[in-house]
Amino acid sequence: MASIVLSNVDKIYAGGVKAVNGLNLEIKDGEFMVLVGPSGCGKSTALRMIAGLEDISGGEIAIGEKVVNHLPPKDRDIAMVFQNYALYPHMTVAENLAFGLKLRKMPKPEIQKRVNQAAKMLGLEQYLKRKPAALSGGQRQRVAMGRAIVREPQAFLMDEPLSNLDAKLRVSMRASLNQMHERLGVTTVYVTHDQVEAMTLGDRVCVLRDGILQQVDTPQNLFDNPVNLFVAGFMGSPSMNFVTAELVQVDGGAAAAFAGFRLPVPASTFTEKPGLDQYLGRKVILGIRPSDFEDAAAANGHTGAGWARLPVRAEVTEELGSEINVLFLIDAPPVEHKDTVAAKDADEDGEPIPLAGDKSLWTARVNARSHVRPGQQTELVVDTHNLHFFDQGSGLAIGHPANVGR
Amino acid sequence: MRKTHQRRVIIGFLAAPVLLYTVFVASPYVQAFYIALTDWRGLSAEIGLIGLGNFTELFGDPVFWQALRNNLLLLVTLPIVTIGVGLFLAFMLNAAGGPRSGEIRGVRGAKFYRVVYFFPYVLSIAIIGVLWKNIYNPINGLLNGALRAVGLEEVQPSWLGDERLAFWAVLAVLVWNGIGFYVVLFTAGIKAIPASLLEAAVLDGASRTQVFFRITIPLIWENIRTAAVYLGIAALDAFAVVQIMTGGGPNDSTQVGSFYLYQNAFSYGRFGYASAMGVVLFVVTLALSAFTLRATRKERIEF
Repeated sequence: MASIVLSNVDKIYAGGVKAVNGLNLEIKDGEFMVLVGPSGCGKSTALRMIAGLEDISGGEIAIGEKVVNHLPPKDRDIAMVFQNYALYPHMTVAENLAFGLKLRKMPKPEIQKRVNQAAKMLGLEQYLKRKPAALSGGQRQRVAMGRAIVREPQAFLMDEPLSNLDAKLRVSMRASLNQMHERLGVTTVYVTHDQVEAMTLGDRVCVLRDGILQQVDTPQNLFDNPVNLFVAGFMGSPSMNFVTAELVQVDGGAAAAFAGFRLPVPASTFTEKPGLDQYLGRKVILGIRPSDFEDAAAANGHTGAGWARLPVRAEVTEELGSEINVLFLIDAPPVEHKDTVAAKDADEDGEPIPLAGDKSLWTARVNARSHVRPGQQTELVVDTHNLHFFDQGSGLAIGHPANVGR
Repeated sequence: MRKTHQRRVIIGFLAAPVLLYTVFVASPYVQAFYIALTDWRGLSAEIGLIGLGNFTELFGDPVFWQALRNNLLLLVTLPIVTIGVGLFLAFMLNAAGGPRSGEIRGVRGAKFYRVVYFFPYVLSIAIIGVLWKNIYNPINGLLNGALRAVGLEEVQPSWLGDERLAFWAVLAVLVWNGIGFYVVLFTAGIKAIPASLLEAAVLDGASRTQVFFRITIPLIWENIRTAAVYLGIAALDAFAVVQIMTGGGPNDSTQVGSFYLYQNAFSYGRFGYASAMGVVLFVVTLALSAFTLRATRKERIEF
């Protein structure tokens, strides 16, 4: 096991396209690091550079303190799981598992032992004699995992290993992946474009965009304190609501004014976000997570301090059983920042409704006890402690520790 | 009603090709079998049946045995050499290049070489024969000229005039002629293998050579099998090159069945004898192709 350190890593393709741009990333020993971002953000390229399948244009990659820039893949002591599994079609499952060990001239009984162990762990024992063509997608996926496990490498690299599975299987495989990592504790780098996978699997998540690192943090921190508009819009489903608001001084405190609403900004927010006070009287981009809304009627308990009321008309409701997504219009033009557009493009379930005029569509995630129906007037409450503020020009989160002084 | 109508249509469609096949393919076979039992000399109107006389003579004919031996030797060497060299070149063009750590790709200028290798294949076989006959010319040929140029004046073999060399010289031309096609065939096979499979093998610790022998070759086995069948057919024929370059000589060292048959029919005017030879070659070819298809049969591989 080992840590993986990327320092100022660049990848420039012929034609001058920079797929990865000055990437600095430290993956600690035993950590599960997820690289996430929209397609074309360079996450797979970064992974393939760690694997040695792609040469490095600039910078340095070290695995376990050893610089591996010019080391061929086989000497890097890593194992990779591919999106299409890449099982050898002419070998049985057992031969597939044993191939890497045989090439490394491991004694036969040891190979046998490891193959059996992995097969048992992954529930593949009865399929050992089969060829990959005779396996289902989930079974092939497990064989691909097994091939990585038997090698007992310093690190696992996984390139969207679950994306060829159907939704249900993906969830269960996600759980077993988590379990497996817990058991083996091997450093893992995992690439995905699915932010739910990223949130559920990663010890830490690294968000990339256009080859540039945006933010690396624990899933919860990414969700609570996104560093910029892009991360804010990309992480979380449904994605964060944005509006251009004016930060105004009112008696007894500050408020964010937009579309005829005034959301009081608690004093604590100003202490948490240093520099926010300088935006008083100016416009900022306000972000509110759908999950920070609640139906006023259904949430009798917390309509107290810090919760602001927002009367709206529900346009569409999506009932998910445990909760309801309420889509409503805000009388303000949608925020057209390059970062929000980029994040939206990446979101596969992007808004299908064409927006009327210059209104923006917001989503609130409320408790299923709420009986909001489409077309109804309803009152929502917002947790004003969790408002997010972004600079209009740079798109950076105001008062985020990483941005202070930038 | 519908049934009979359908049947009529089907029979109508089938009848035409069956008729053509019978007239132009099957009947000449039957005719050849018949002529093989006669002493027909090609021109006379009367044909004398001599039973199996032609066949008894044939089995005692040392030239025929020599021709058959040469065909069998070609049958073994031509596919082995062509497939071996073809696979090697295809591997070089597709998977041997690139940095040691980095993507798998062909050597520099692979596209150019691919065209160059294919070039001989588009030339007419007659031109190839004439071309190489001149290259092999011991006095003013390119080959011996090159040997002289590097100071090997002593080594001036008569490539096509030496019994020990002629066969191999002919074999080299056959390989040179066919190689481009097989490089393209194998390239297509290698390109169809998903890149991630080769990458997985590299990560599993395989060297480029190991990737080639343990992944690439098993995965393009179907293409290799096809190549073996094509080359086998070419080896049993080899008429054009032999006819143009050596005429079967010297001392029958490059004699092959098809050319000896031609000589008997059109030079010596022994159509009955030639037909008997044709029948024997037909049986040999049939047996060999059945054997090849059976021996190389493997499970189909799906990606």
